[in-house]
Amino acid sequence: MSAARVERARNSGALSFSILMLYVALPYGVAALTGTPEPNLGALAAWHSAAESVYCEEGLTPVTVILMVETLSMIVAALLARRSGDRWGALGVALRRDGGHLLAVMLLIGLPFLISWQTESSVCTRGRAFYWESVLIDAFILAILAISYNLLFGFTGVVSFGHALFFGLGAYIVGLLMKHLGAPWWLAILAALMGGVLIALVKGVVGLRIKGLYFALFTLAFAQVFFLLAGNRLMVNITGAEDGFTFKVPDWLNTTQNRFFFYLATLAVLVLAFVVVRRLMNSPTGRVLSALRDNESRAQMLGYNTFYFKLISIVLAGVLAALAGVLRGVALKGASPGVLSIDFTITPLIMVIIGGVGTFIGPVLGAFLIHLTEEALRDTVITIGTLSVNIGERWALILGLLFILIVLVFPRGIVGSVQAWWGRSKR
Amino acid sequence: MTTTTPPALRSTTLRQSLIVSGLFVVGLLVINFVFFPPSTVVTVVLSGLYQGMLFFLVASGMSIVFGLLDVLNLAQGAFFMIGAYAGFAIYGTLPESVSLEVRFVAALVGATVFGGLVGLAVEVGLLRPLYARPVFQIVLTFGLASAINEIVRAIYGPAGLIPIDPPAFLDTTLAIAGGRFETYRVFIIAVGLILMVGISLLLQRTRLGIVIRAGVQDREMVEALGINVRRVFTLVFMLGTAVAALGGMTAAPFLGAYPGMGTDFLLTAVIVIVIGGMSSYEGTAIASILVGLTRATAEQISLQYLNTPILASVSILIFMIVVLLVRPSGLFGKE
Amino acid sequence: MSALLSVEDIHTFIGQFHILEGVSIEVPANSITALLGRNGAGKTTSLRSIIGLNPPSRGAIRFQGKVISGQRAFEIAQLGIGYVPDYRAIFRQLTVEENLRIAERKKGDLDRKKAFILALFPDLGRLYAWPGGQLSGGQQQMLAIARALVPDNQLLLIDEPSEGLAPVIIEQLMAAIRQLSGQTTVLLVEQNFRVARVLADRYVIVEDGRSVHSGLMADLAGDQALINRYLGAA
Repeated sequence: MSAARVERARNSGALSFSILMLYVALPYGVAALTGTPEPNLGALAAWHSAAESVYCEEGLTPVTVILMVETLSMIVAALLARRSGDRWGALGVALRRDGGHLLAVMLLIGLPFLISWQTESSVCTRGRAFYWESVLIDAFILAILAISYNLLFGFTGVVSFGHALFFGLGAYIVGLLMKHLGAPWWLAILAALMGGVLIALVKGVVGLRIKGLYFALFTLAFAQVFFLLAGNRLMVNITGAEDGFTFKVPDWLNTTQNRFFFYLATLAVLVLAFVVVRRLMNSPTGRVLSALRDNESRAQMLGYNTFYFKLISIVLAGVLAALAGVLRGVALKGASPGVLSIDFTITPLIMVIIGGVGTFIGPVLGAFLIHLTEEALRDTVITIGTLSVNIGERWALILGLLFILIVLVFPRGIVGSVQAWWGRSKR
Repeated sequence: MTTTTPPALRSTTLRQSLIVSGLFVVGLLVINFVFFPPSTVVTVVLSGLYQGMLFFLVASGMSIVFGLLDVLNLAQGAFFMIGAYAGFAIYGTLPESVSLEVRFVAALVGATVFGGLVGLAVEVGLLRPLYARPVFQIVLTFGLASAINEIVRAIYGPAGLIPIDPPAFLDTTLAIAGGRFETYRVFIIAVGLILMVGISLLLQRTRLGIVIRAGVQDREMVEALGINVRRVFTLVFMLGTAVAALGGMTAAPFLGAYPGMGTDFLLTAVIVIVIGGMSSYEGTAIASILVGLTRATAEQISLQYLNTPILASVSILIFMIVVLLVRPSGLFGKE
Repeated sequence: MSALLSVEDIHTFIGQFHILEGVSIEVPANSITALLGRNGAGKTTSLRSIIGLNPPSRGAIRFQGKVISGQRAFEIAQLGIGYVPDYRAIFRQLTVEENLRIAERKKGDLDRKKAFILALFPDLGRLYAWPGGQLSGGQQQMLAIARALVPDNQLLLIDEPSEGLAPVIIEQLMAAIRQLSGQTTVLLVEQNFRVARVLADRYVIVEDGRSVHSGLMADLAGDQALINRYLGAA
């Protein structure tokens, strides 16, 4: 690649980021300028309260309008870039490569506003939009978890049946530290992530000596031990045993009050996770991981220390899962043994497989599709003849059957199958 | 022509494993006698045996199927549950006029057959298409277990069914060495032993057994000898699920039937086959007893000193982890 | 000319690798045909294609006039083809007797053939109750061949029987195989040209996945140039 092109590629990442920042900053700035600040507050707080006064309104707000205009311009720019982006330098590269993803993130940022407009509710207080924010936050968290599982299973080819361990540990550590030790939020989160790293290292160093299937069973046993420990009555005063425990979070992290901010924060973490994994897989390290997945003995013969690379993958996947766990703990302001249960290993597995194992967007798509559909159909009842099925109640069953179908017929998942079909039709 | 007898009938590693297992059992008994009065020891040992037998019923199918098909059937626990529910259904549909004994036996037999038939459907419909992709096979059985759980939950509701009564002659309590023990649990031990011996005879004395043992070592060669290996796979899979279903129905009179029962036994079955050696039948048999005894001992200690049964499950999990780290192929697996 | 086995220009893939790129073999009944060639030429794959373990993607294989390529391996075996792979494939944890029993296709096969087999390979009688894994290399090879004799097979596919065996044992094996050729047809892959030369009536040479030369062994034996060209230092 010519030096100029390399330069442009490098700058395009920063440019994509800047586009996103602009997208958010513009409406926020306008809102802050035109809004009514609350009296008796410091400069920064007043600025923020002014913005709030605008975007928390019900229905169609100036913020919503600006967001829509921005999104439309983005669509136009992306389409134009497809045609003549070569002449646009770094910007062209950014738009062509990331256009779709940027658009998706923009839509997600604007979605609550769209809902608030359609339902005449506020993004900031109880109402339809508020409710859907909470649903989407869960979807984001699950998507992060799915991305982490895909890194391990889809990209590196390591089968793990104990992924819930990291997720649960994240929630438990952050909660326990804040509750019993009064730790500040940043310390608790950091500790939870460190805990994830530590456990991943232990798991990897101890377990990776064992071959594939046995390692998977080892992870299952390992996770199960923690699950049992969390639910046991001996530590009921600390962990709350089967019922779990709750803890207090600072106001700005409290989803009951400041849900929209948490929504944006979780979305930001999701984007971060996505970018990190994609960066990793496109780097030389990532290529080794892929080679490892396809043929481990061959990679070893080529001289790669496969143990070290698998360890990297386990640790990164563990940290991301722990991060998802932290978000969940904070969002729910509590944790219970359920987060360590096998449910949270099965769920990302299903999402990854349905979405598309070994693809970048697959796990995210899978998570969104499954969680949002479950939510949307929660109260729908289908009647066939004399048999009536409440989809909400039978969701686990429907999901299980769908999962079996996908494994049999579309093992590449949705994204994978589309990609394969796309590739074939191009030839 | 005179046939000579082979030299050492058992290799050294096999002898080692047997000695280790023996020592382990002795160790457990010692622990028992140290901590508990003799009457409790008897209860614990019998409890360990009957639990072990139930584990064996689930694990034996899993282990042979794994050896022959290279598939870890994670839906085996679900078949255990299916057996219990099918037994209940049969028990309930037969008219009251039919005696308890007959209904009970009918339930046992029916559950076993039903488990086998569902296994047939699963193997032919779901597993065969995936022979070439073993990772997906495991994943599929995972999903299948979940789906079966949900189907049962949909039909019968999330709350369990109340245990049915076993026939009168089994519904008594025995006094053994000062401890009380329900006869039904002895029945379970008997059923387990019968199957242990029966399956062993099948493997050692019948043509099917030879084919299975050969297939575990070299599937391809068995096929090249003119044997339809795929049909053998299906048959073996069916037998595995039928035995698991039998286990479920056998356990029904005191466990009842509830949607989660499969998962509990699945995990323990996995522990058993890992410890025993994943494709070794003898390993599974011996390991199920070891795991049962360990679990019972740990449970008693846990209840006595910690007032919670948690050590029971944790102990066998740690047992499995230790085996995985020291000798992943298990006590009797080949490596 | 009615060959018992007729391999017609087969192509076989293993994964993405194009191993056989046009192999043709004619095996007349009641003869021993040797499949010769250097290491990696495709001899083992040819046998595996015939028995159906690696079916060919192009070309046809006929046995007794009927097309067998495309059928499952067990179906092909049941037509009367015995396969003795190069790694012997003895079931190590089964006894010698069980190894022979499993090869039965009709009830009583072993009982009928037992005397014949034990006359051919006397050692096996002594070792009848031994687990296959405790036999020496030579004894395992004999067991592998004996196993192919239990059912009524018209064709034996034998892959490198002499590999790794002491010369004395090889002599025994050769005698046994020679005795067989009266009633059974043999397609023999043999790296050891000296063995092949003595045993075989006909030969086919395979090089880089293609059959390149065939004919009577008597002719080949005298043609040193041909031997050097295709079989390297023989």
